[in-house]
Amino acid sequence: MSLPAWLHPDFTLTDDLGTATAADLIAAGTRLADALPLWGRAGLAATGARAILTALLAAEARRTDLFLIRDATTGAEIGYRIEGEAVIDVAPDAPDGTGLVWLQTSGSTGRPKWVPHPPEALRGRIGPGRGPARWLLSYAAGGFAGLQVILSAAIGGHYLLGPPDHAGIGDLAALAVRHRITHLSGTPTFWRAFLMALGTQTLALETVTLGGEATDQALLDLLRAKFPQARLRHLYATTELGTVFSVADGRAGFPAAWLDGNLAITEHETLAVRRDGTLHDTGDRVALIDDRVLFRGRLDAMVNIGGVKIWPEEVETHLLQLPFLSDALVTTKPNPITGSILLADLVLADPDTQALCEPRVKAHLALLPRAARPAMIRYRTALPTGQTGKKLRMP
Amino acid sequence: MIERVVAELQRILADKGEPHGPITADSRLLDGDLPIDSLDLATLVVALEEQTGREPFKAGFRLFATVGELATLFDEAA
Repeated sequence: MSLPAWLHPDFTLTDDLGTATAADLIAAGTRLADALPLWGRAGLAATGARAILTALLAAEARRTDLFLIRDATTGAEIGYRIEGEAVIDVAPDAPDGTGLVWLQTSGSTGRPKWVPHPPEALRGRIGPGRGPARWLLSYAAGGFAGLQVILSAAIGGHYLLGPPDHAGIGDLAALAVRHRITHLSGTPTFWRAFLMALGTQTLALETVTLGGEATDQALLDLLRAKFPQARLRHLYATTELGTVFSVADGRAGFPAAWLDGNLAITEHETLAVRRDGTLHDTGDRVALIDDRVLFRGRLDAMVNIGGVKIWPEEVETHLLQLPFLSDALVTTKPNPITGSILLADLVLADPDTQALCEPRVKAHLALLPRAARPAMIRYRTALPTGQTGKKLRMP
Repeated sequence: MIERVVAELQRILADKGEPHGPITADSRLLDGDLPIDSLDLATLVVALEEQTGREPFKAGFRLFATVGELATLFDEAA
């Protein structure tokens, strides 16, 4: 297999298995492509930066579909599935292999949705890059944002450091310092924790990127002070439209001058984006304040917790599967670390059984993704109701 | 306030079943001294806000690194 046009020959990846060059990855991708069965419909599943790049190369060579597992609990692994023989049981039934890359979206229930992307489209928004950048991967490798970082480094011929599984924020800060990282992208929640973990250590970042949730001015000011030389930008993206715009002036929100018809504020004060001639309502509430458009949460009940989209009502439904609960209300509360946090108010059918029920509630919530588990559970004798009898969702 | 922060942290760590050393005012929250992450820290802040009725982050995120620094932010928010 020759070098695909998009993979830069100078690209280098370092992870807990060691260092791999572009040539090493091509060799690994070729071995994998050769190992795939020649008959039937095959798909690859991969997790971790190294496995993902290897699988991207093999899938491209064989035009098989590739399934990227977002939150892997095991190490970097590649598996494949053949028609009628489910080796990877997480992958959906895809149509005949057309070389699509399938990504999982995150959500409240822990049952991710698979979304197909043509590989050219995933690489489409990535520029050639500048200088010998040194990237640290802070996102899940198999998610949309993680893949953008991996591809940016691979296409630009940069250095990419893939942290070990389950690396904590303290580990990431230490790795960034030790490997003299220059380019780092993460959610505002990641950046708050990263700044806290970094403390007084110095790190000469050249590019600081925020995405995945709305950022606030206080965080942008802290980042500007800590990394005065860095190009500071925050991205606005949606699941449906991908990255819509990038703001580089160090101020929260975006300039009101950008409301030119391609970006518009709807009658119910949400942001709409024109794409292919159609105006798409994003459901993100905005407010026009002087020369700036600022984000104000969601029109629907969705809440962004550390970059993960959570529907409190789905968490409520999950809780109400427990037979000893007579009612449950899940509300959101603004939080300085993760943007928002969930609170649960629970009513037990028999209040005398609280001691027995508490561990069962905890075990049941442990089935949900971390961000969907309420940070605080309060046991009540009854839920507050409004005049219409509807549960009061707003705190 | 420090005692309150320590007690709440111990409760969160006990819930997680994570072993940990002694927690003092100098314990650093997110860089390895304690086995907690952003979501645990968010839980800690919500619990402290609920208990004290104080909201030191009302105007936005403020940087803190240790148990003592977090306690001071709550003390000053009186």
